[in-house]
Amino acid sequence: MRLALYVTCLVDLMRPSVGFASLRLLEAAGCEVIVPSGQTCCGQPAWSAGDRAPAVDLAKKAIAELEEFEQVVVPSGSCADHIRNVYPQMLADDPEWSARANKLAARTSELSEFLARQPGFTAPAAFDGTITYHDSCKGLRGLGIKHQPRELLRKVSGLSLQEMSDCEECCGFGGAFSVKFGDVSTQIVDRKCATIAEVGADAVVGGDLGCLLNIEGRLRRRGDQTTRVLHFAEVLAGGDS
Amino acid sequence: MTHAKHSQAMHFQARAAEKVRNPVLQRALQKAKPLFVGKRAKGMAALGEDGLEFEGLRSACVDIRNRVLADLDVWLAIFEERAKATGAEVLWARDGDEICDLVIDVARRHGVTKATKSKSMLSEEAHLNEALAAAGIRPVETDLGEYIVQLAGEAPSHIIAPAVHKTIHEVEELFAKEHGRPIETRTSADIPAMAREAREVLRQHFLSAEMGISGANFLIAETGTAVLVTNEGNGRMVTTLPKVHVVITGIEKLVPTLEDFATLMRLLPRSATGQTISNYVSLLTGTRQPGDRDGPEKTVFILVDNGRADLLGSAYQDMLRCIRCGACMNHCPVYFSLGGHAYGWVYPGPMGSVLTPLYTGIENALDLPHASTGCNQCGTVCPVRIPLPSLMHRLREAQTERGLRPWSERLWLRAWAWIARRPALYRWFARRAARYLGWLAGDEGRIQVFGLAPGWTEGRDLPVASNRTFHELYAARKRA
Ligand code: SF4
Repeated sequence: MRLALYVTCLVDLMRPSVGFASLRLLEAAGCEVIVPSGQTCCGQPAWSAGDRAPAVDLAKKAIAELEEFEQVVVPSGSCADHIRNVYPQMLADDPEWSARANKLAARTSELSEFLARQPGFTAPAAFDGTITYHDSCKGLRGLGIKHQPRELLRKVSGLSLQEMSDCEECCGFGGAFSVKFGDVSTQIVDRKCATIAEVGADAVVGGDLGCLLNIEGRLRRRGDQTTRVLHFAEVLAGGDS
Repeated sequence: MTHAKHSQAMHFQARAAEKVRNPVLQRALQKAKPLFVGKRAKGMAALGEDGLEFEGLRSACVDIRNRVLADLDVWLAIFEERAKATGAEVLWARDGDEICDLVIDVARRHGVTKATKSKSMLSEEAHLNEALAAAGIRPVETDLGEYIVQLAGEAPSHIIAPAVHKTIHEVEELFAKEHGRPIETRTSADIPAMAREAREVLRQHFLSAEMGISGANFLIAETGTAVLVTNEGNGRMVTTLPKVHVVITGIEKLVPTLEDFATLMRLLPRSATGQTISNYVSLLTGTRQPGDRDGPEKTVFILVDNGRADLLGSAYQDMLRCIRCGACMNHCPVYFSLGGHAYGWVYPGPMGSVLTPLYTGIENALDLPHASTGCNQCGTVCPVRIPLPSLMHRLREAQTERGLRPWSERLWLRAWAWIARRPALYRWFARRAARYLGWLAGDEGRIQVFGLAPGWTEGRDLPVASNRTFHELYAARKRA
């Protein structure tokens, strides 16, 4: 299968290893992976800010460069949700673009749901230790991602998954919210860090880099220098992706 | 929009900063949250025992509320006619000031000097207690939470648990002062005794007040009935003991039939407190008839618009389905970081972040629609499926359309979006940004003070894993 990997602007800038891990996993699943060279950002920041015009421009740009692919895979629940659920709604009044948005939406998957759908796929990596999984909001409530990453992770040899309490509770990231209302955001992520600390796992794992940066940033500030904070793709792909 | 003057919603940012730094408040909130969430979850899980199912019930509730809103004028006319037929008087108020005028007028006509109150959010919208006091009528809140909040000279911080922000020690101090006794050391085991103490004080008021003021959870059109859903029984005292009973409620609270009310009741208490049914459900229809042993001699309905009619047919109409269960705030990470007072007006949490700008003016509550992480925990639990995050988003767009966002924010966004449409240029900037972040982060791999986003690094580090972007590494790899 020839598919497009949409790495997302945050992975591009903040953690390229998540992009390379995704690439390796998709190739391991037997896919021919193209990284469309014009991709930048899905436009979610503009949409969230309530600035429709640039959000629409960036949506159209993304649709134009991704629609030729049989499948588009995104290592972020939040960006996948934006493409799949928000684009069609945003462009609903424009018959041509609405059709194109719906077509792309139907072909777009978040990475864990895509991998979980591939028969016989098992992660190439091993992981020595316990992890706990944080469900990011957009993936969980927008796309219904819950069991997929867990299923994939459970098959990693050496890995044991220990759930934290309130794993579905928001981490307080919320994009611009985390900067605009920094103190509120910190208060929320502090509670998340407390539940992570209760589990005492070697790593906290999730599927959205924004949330992971938020959690890691707060853990370190709280003085926890050892709990690793990883994207599930990094765990599944292993090594120095 | 007469109530913009009472709203403090423009000070959200500053109030929020104060609330997150208040350890007493934080303790109270952290204690309450798991109770709310746990009770609702249990209540919903038990639906199956009664052969019910959440999504199906939800759809039924949505349909009922939508049916009312589609022909609200007709249902209101039916209600008015039926209520009058039972001997009640039906009055209409456009805004809070009119509510106050009407209540004071009724009070004067009946020589009222004291009014007992059971919970009414509309009376908060109208600042009725202040108006009554100014008119020489003493308002006495009788819901335990409202009583506490009134003693403290505060506003409720939650729509169903008005004093959730108070610790037991704060309540003890208030009671000791009001009830003229020394302060004692209290634990949660003393709560029943404290409630009894308040009840004894309130009993005198129930017996001596000439007027009772209540809200209504629903108005039933076919019977002209007001429904009160409560847990403390004070509502019954307020609505049956005084000679005059005034019901103040929003025009959107109508439901067509008793059957519809029964359907909504399946989800209201479960969403609010996890109860299958609340301790008291009162259906109040008309005035005392010959042979009745209790009930008011006079019942007055004050049906209030205060911004509601403007939402009919608008992009925000869904909000009028709200049945005020409080589930949205009970599941909101922002609410539980701040409590209700930070929101600055009557309604806190997600429903407040939508209602406050709509009822007091979008320009008077600029932060509220942005004070959300977009987690949609609210939308997931709302029993009438109100898409709260979408409505907040619509309000953000309205702010942009009306030029209410700071120009610097728009400039940044537009410049960023302009660049993001030009991949080569975007790559160039991203590479520079990665170098810069990498340099700031140093060997530690994290930034502790970041001038471009101080809000982030005030409470968190910014982890930086690489000073190269994915796309430049990928291009290099492909060349190799
Ligand atoms: S918006 Fe929904 S969840 Fe919130 S109070 Fe209203 S009905 Fe309840």
